[in-house]
Amino acid sequence: MSRGNVFLSLVLWLILALLVIYPLSFLILESFKIAGTNQFGIKNYLDFFKDPYYLKTFTNTLFLGVLVLLATTLLGLPLAYILARYRLKGKTILTALILLPIVLPAYAGAFALIVFFGKQGTVNLLLLEWGLISKPINFIYGLHGLVFIQTLHLLPFIVLSLSAGFTNIDPSLEEAAEVEGARGFKRFLTITLPLCTPNYLAGAVIVFLWPFTDWLTPLIFGLIDFLPSIAYINIAYHFTDMYRKYIGIVSVVVSSVICVAIFLISKRWVEKKKYTSLSKGTTLEGRIIEPGIFITILSYAYMVFIALLVLLIPTVLGLSAFSRRWVLQPFPTYWTLDNFRLIFLESPLLLKNSFVFSGVALIFGIIFGLPAAYLITRTKVRGKEALDFVITLMLAFPGIAVGVSYLLAFWEGIPLATHWIIMPLSLFVRRLPYFLRMAHASYLQLDISLEEAAEVSGANKLRTFFNISLPLLLKGVFVGVVMFFIMAFQEISTAIFLYRGGWETLPIGIYLNWHRGMEFGIAGAMAFLMIVIIFILLIIISRIGGGILGAAWGSSGGRY
Amino acid sequence: MKKKFFRGRIILITIFLFFCSALMGEAQAQKEKIGWVGPIYKELSDSLMKGFKDYYKKTYGKDIEITFIRPGGWPVCVDKVRAWKGKPDADIFLGAGAPAHEILKKEGLIVPYKLKEWEVIPDKWQGMKVKDEGYYWACFAPWIVTNLYNEKVLKVLKLPPPKTWKELLNPIYRELIVQTLPYASGTQHEAVEIHLQTFGVKEGWAYNRLLAAQLARFSTGSVDTTHIVSRGEVPIGLAQPQMNAMVARKDGYPVRDLLPDKTILVPEAVAMLKNAPNEANAKIFLDWLFSMAGQKYVLEGGYFTARKDIKFTAWEKEGVAMAKHAREALGVDSFWDLKVGFVNYDLDLAAKRWDEVNRYYEYEIYRKWRELKSSLFLIEEVEGEIAAAKKKGVDVQKAEAKIKEARNLFEFEGQYAQARLTASEARSLLVSGSR
Repeated sequence: MSRGNVFLSLVLWLILALLVIYPLSFLILESFKIAGTNQFGIKNYLDFFKDPYYLKTFTNTLFLGVLVLLATTLLGLPLAYILARYRLKGKTILTALILLPIVLPAYAGAFALIVFFGKQGTVNLLLLEWGLISKPINFIYGLHGLVFIQTLHLLPFIVLSLSAGFTNIDPSLEEAAEVEGARGFKRFLTITLPLCTPNYLAGAVIVFLWPFTDWLTPLIFGLIDFLPSIAYINIAYHFTDMYRKYIGIVSVVVSSVICVAIFLISKRWVEKKKYTSLSKGTTLEGRIIEPGIFITILSYAYMVFIALLVLLIPTVLGLSAFSRRWVLQPFPTYWTLDNFRLIFLESPLLLKNSFVFSGVALIFGIIFGLPAAYLITRTKVRGKEALDFVITLMLAFPGIAVGVSYLLAFWEGIPLATHWIIMPLSLFVRRLPYFLRMAHASYLQLDISLEEAAEVSGANKLRTFFNISLPLLLKGVFVGVVMFFIMAFQEISTAIFLYRGGWETLPIGIYLNWHRGMEFGIAGAMAFLMIVIIFILLIIISRIGGGILGAAWGSSGGRY
Repeated sequence: MKKKFFRGRIILITIFLFFCSALMGEAQAQKEKIGWVGPIYKELSDSLMKGFKDYYKKTYGKDIEITFIRPGGWPVCVDKVRAWKGKPDADIFLGAGAPAHEILKKEGLIVPYKLKEWEVIPDKWQGMKVKDEGYYWACFAPWIVTNLYNEKVLKVLKLPPPKTWKELLNPIYRELIVQTLPYASGTQHEAVEIHLQTFGVKEGWAYNRLLAAQLARFSTGSVDTTHIVSRGEVPIGLAQPQMNAMVARKDGYPVRDLLPDKTILVPEAVAMLKNAPNEANAKIFLDWLFSMAGQKYVLEGGYFTARKDIKFTAWEKEGVAMAKHAREALGVDSFWDLKVGFVNYDLDLAAKRWDEVNRYYEYEIYRKWRELKSSLFLIEEVEGEIAAAKKKGVDVQKAEAKIKEARNLFEFEGQYAQARLTASEARSLLVSGSR
């Protein structure tokens, strides 16, 4: 255990303490304040748990998580299998398309759904025109609409993790089963699926916890009774009612605790069982099957179906981006470039801020993430497991928790929030796990014997890193970089609390244009722009590191 | 050593960033600045920014950097000023009606400034304050609390637009109305206060219960309500700032203003914050805002104008585009010529019971919304049955008394479950009475 590594570990811990532990403790402290007095106590928590309304919002959110998980799994399982196992033409484009929802945050898609499926939306207007119905059908207002939009957004997470799972399975295990007589579907159920569990859980946790952080999408559909939404309303609209604010903060703390608990339970469950295989007799691609003609047609049909679903929202956003006054008509009639002119000429600040903040956050991410990955995989420093744990835990914390805690901690305590650097810092903290997982997975795939060989030959650590490790890590690190950037670019739940005049990002612009503007086309244009920018980045990942992307979400042996 | 390398990089980048921010800081320090905080809509802030920047450039030959923070509705904005604890990040509190400014004045967060053209703003209008006698605040954009409807959708549904608050309770409008929650919107809260102060507290809450049963859904803000009505998703929207209809029409949405029988004036006002970092610029802005030129930008931004001497027809001739829409929306040549029914609004009372009203609405109406609706619908069913039976000559005395009791429990006591039970009892009395 070298002193250098211990020092590095201390530096990383210090940064974490400042950016994670300190603000979160502020949040917890604030939740114990009693309104109207200067005292602390557990009254807020007692009130929260005694109130049947808050219990209802909690069960609603839980139920939503379960529904979304079920829907994404049902839709995603066949897709993941097709992508991982079948040799089909055009997989790259289709993979990129299927990953598209990652760049499309649910709140942006929700507007498009209202335009298309609303009571006076395209579908209803057409059906009414054609005389097929006499009253508009409620397609989206209610739990079903919310489940649909969140499923669409989260589908890639399940698809990625499952396809990584399928790819990582040692073919010898499946072949052994087939030799024993278990073919096709039976083999799939008894061998293939169970072996994917750790990978599946990695994606499933993210999907299940999402409703606990997404406060905006339910509000767009007029649904208020979800834990993060009611927390946001209580905190943002408390005016003079400090009690309401504290209850809001209690809601945030409670949802964070729940999220973290679920996260830990799933981690524990996966680690209890052993999923590793002795032989690594598999290529990066995994087992590939040449499908028969029937399966090929079905596969293409299914992929096209999913692609159409996925493309619906960007199409609607695109139509509204290039038009105005699209209301009470099935399709726009007044086309204009006005919306884009407004964005580029009058508020280019939004684009600039988005790129600058995400870029700076990325630099922080790399500076912190690479040494952290090195520390966790290559050294024996004490506390490295805890470091890994705390960083990954940030995935579980709802954005609203980070936003409010930063507002409390860095306004009155250390006045970082008065400087624009708070925006990239909060992005960095929230999205770091995405980068770390990539870096971590890459390091794991890099056999240590390669580095040892270099060192035995006389290269010092630095030279080893640059000449051996980095070139081999590069693919994975690059994918991590792009992934981080994509997720940072679309972040809103935290940014909305911390931004001040002049620091608005593109997602905040979309929100503000919905919340206080009249012309939906502008919000549509911003959302469309965001999609186009990130989609280009996605194509790059897809080309370069599709396999690594999957592997990172899987992580060998189920380690997070 | 790897860690040394990274440590070096961290230090280098940190230095670089501080250098950059220092440079940015310096560059900013040399620019003229002004900051606004307030709840006004984006169109108005955009228009004012454009107008004031041009004016400043023409008059002083310099560029001015304007930042505008809109944390939410006016209660949230007031809270933001409080959070600054005497060291505000902005110079001007832009927007919000009298309640907000009276609170700011009481808490010592704003300072008086006598505008150059102080006399051009009326003191009072139909008994309501339009500016503060101590020069603390003045209205630059008046509007009244009104309702909106989508004329295309109502035409398709063959329904007439409701003209009074009471008319909204007509069953023909059931599930065709949308409003937001009073604690999420200052305007909505004021609408509830209008009901409480017009009808009396008990009757006012009864009215709100009945109104809640007419709603298709609750929206999440007054602009959300406007959007929903503009898109036709729900045809009638409540508690809207009056100019929303004018602006929606300009954007091509078939929305009409629905003046209720009794309403209040919201004198959207402006004030200078105490310890404003750019006091000189703040004063220049205030004077500009009330000048003829500034008021034109107010109208362009989709708000009505406050100067006594503005006539929309005159401006129309001068080529001010919005003047036409304003005249059509209001039906008169100047805002102050409007003939509306006003309630004698007790500002102090409203401010005092602000939280209480919010909480009552949330706990007794919003949270019990399903219960409320099922209870009322049953009462209405039984009342219908009793009326039909009465026509046939059945003895309905006992049932009538019981259903009246149920109504009372629903409207005045807010006991929805009990009311439902009593309605069922009325029904069984009716059935046993008809045997």
